[in-house]
Amino acid sequence: MKVAVLSFAHVHAAAYLTLLRDLPGVEVIGSDPDSALNALAAPGETRGRAFAEGHGVPYVDTYEEAFAWGPDAVIVCSENARHRPLVELAAAHRVDVLCEKPLATTVADGEAMVAACRAAGVRLAVAFPVRFSPAYAAVKRAVAAGDTGRVLTVSGANNGHMPTRTRRWFADPELAGGGALMDHTVHIADLLDDLFAARAVEVYAQTNNLLYEGEVTAETSGLVTVVYDNGTVATIDCSWSHPRSHPAWGGLELTLVGEHATLEMDAFDQKVHGHSERHGRALELSFGVDLDAAMLRAFLYGPGADGMEVADGAGGLRTLRIVAAGYASARTGVPVAVAG
Amino acid sequence: MPPLHIGLLGAGGIARAHLPGWLELGARVSVHTQDGSAEKLAAEYAARGHDITAVPALDDLLAPCRAVDICTPTPTHKDLARAAIAAGRHVVCEKPLALTVADAEDIAAAADAAGVRLHPAHVVRYFPAYAAMRDAVVRGELGPLAVLRFTRGGARPQWAPWFADPAQSGGVIMDLMVHDIDIARWVAGDVVRVHAQTRGIEHATGAPADVVTATAVLTHASGAVSHVSGLWGLPDQQFRTTFRIAGADGLLRHDSTAVPGFRITAQGERAANEGIPSSPMTESPYLTELREFAASWDDPAVRPRVSARDGIEAVRVARAAVESSRTGRAVELTPAPTAGHAAPAPADPAQHAGHAGPADNEESAR
Repeated sequence: MKVAVLSFAHVHAAAYLTLLRDLPGVEVIGSDPDSALNALAAPGETRGRAFAEGHGVPYVDTYEEAFAWGPDAVIVCSENARHRPLVELAAAHRVDVLCEKPLATTVADGEAMVAACRAAGVRLAVAFPVRFSPAYAAVKRAVAAGDTGRVLTVSGANNGHMPTRTRRWFADPELAGGGALMDHTVHIADLLDDLFAARAVEVYAQTNNLLYEGEVTAETSGLVTVVYDNGTVATIDCSWSHPRSHPAWGGLELTLVGEHATLEMDAFDQKVHGHSERHGRALELSFGVDLDAAMLRAFLYGPGADGMEVADGAGGLRTLRIVAAGYASARTGVPVAVAG
Repeated sequence: MPPLHIGLLGAGGIARAHLPGWLELGARVSVHTQDGSAEKLAAEYAARGHDITAVPALDDLLAPCRAVDICTPTPTHKDLARAAIAAGRHVVCEKPLALTVADAEDIAAAADAAGVRLHPAHVVRYFPAYAAMRDAVVRGELGPLAVLRFTRGGARPQWAPWFADPAQSGGVIMDLMVHDIDIARWVAGDVVRVHAQTRGIEHATGAPADVVTATAVLTHASGAVSHVSGLWGLPDQQFRTTFRIAGADGLLRHDSTAVPGFRITAQGERAANEGIPSSPMTESPYLTELREFAASWDDPAVRPRVSARDGIEAVRVARAAVESSRTGRAVELTPAPTAGHAAPAPADPAQHAGHAGPADNEESAR
């Protein structure tokens, strides 16, 4: 199985290169030609050939060479606004594609990508690794079995570092499509898209940039309330409110209040905690399942024992519509209907 | 100096939380109810040697006391407060101050006109973890606040039927979420926009109790945003409150169930509420609260951390949340001009007393 990683713009590119390099039976190459255009690079931001070689992965100079190599699948890790041309390129070459989240920065781009892949008969998957969390699987089992009854409310938090230290474009509204609201709403929106056979009908969002004010123009905090057509209401804290000096990048937590049970999950709480005198700060040793690895295996080989599928393009588009409604609501201060 | 004389109205759960505080402060307590429960409460405490008497008529309670402590169902607050104010007594009033902004303002205006103090009992401001968090915010420890989250949940109140009737309690938003609405205002300043949704069954007295839960997003004048959620849950829902406060320079988080100080990890086959008794790890927040209120009656320099205006604003924001939940719209708010604390004022030194460490109290604010 041959897999090409297209662009190293996204912070996850490193993990994908390493995981694919170590997967038996997988050959991986990388290509990152647009990195030369990257005027926004943070100091010390490594891209291109040096990045691939640093991760022990062969490199090609152009996307054309990458497709000429004959990959069975590609992974698109470009900036959010640059997903569309690479996904369309994959469709044109009839190669299955896993696209980083969010699917795109505009609903129009997302629709075009879904249409292009459908027309070409290629699989479009979207990189939502948290649905592979065993904690989420436990939530899903409980809801599916009826143990919770009707789910009344969901409180979710996907907080993290502002990711600009390694990749500055994350807070550039042109390339990222926004800030924290664009970056972090979609993970929980994807879980709820998978959990409920329900569509989001209305979104209310409030944002600010009081975190990193003056440093970035994008919103760095946001609360997003989503009403679904099954009556469930979810409120998502999508803020980049995890301090930079914290040893962990952030996390993802959900509380579900059902008629018959209340459940909580934390996708990243399985850690040994301590304190390092050497580093002068708290020490955290994560021992949870590698969600990226589970997602890549499901993308390449199909669902594992838990039956979890990779999110598809249509699902990625649904979560993007929630984000788009969220931005409209944050601008106007009123709830906004979800289009589509 | 004669002992402090307090007129306690009500003998239910919250009166039982306040009473030990008054007794600890050396108060003589007269208690009055209309259903005979005052006599039972007075007899129970008098038998332990406390200075407490049940009085059969409201006027008999008002005549000798210095202040009245209203621990009755919310719809009765206004008439009882007006009676106490008319008698020239200071008033401590359980939250919410009233079910409507107009009633809350009416009580406050009457107290102002009569020159007596009105203390809405927003006790969470006296819970040590919340006070410590707010002190840190006021010190600037977190920098400008950006996003705050508060949760409060427990088993649905079954001990008194009026809680289940939104017409009387105001429902989960007015009765429970109002605690954290007040804290959000206290910490991040006035609220200018509210959006809320309520799910579950508000009118419920069934067995087992139905779940009702509400979620609200508050936008503060500073631009900070708060997520507040309240849950009247299943019978086995452990009472729990949490907060997470994020600012440009740091983060504070608290989970009341994570830091009990003391845990019973096994005691044979006895149920959780039998056997080894647990004891509070810190002073009762109700005692801290009542001490601060009472101190302000003798010393005008003592300004309790919760004002009459705070009680009104909590009702205003909670009403807006109820309205938003009903209409599905966001509600814009203009706080009363005198309310203008866009940011928390420096903490009153009185609030630093007796806060030794993280704790929750058995008599948690519900």
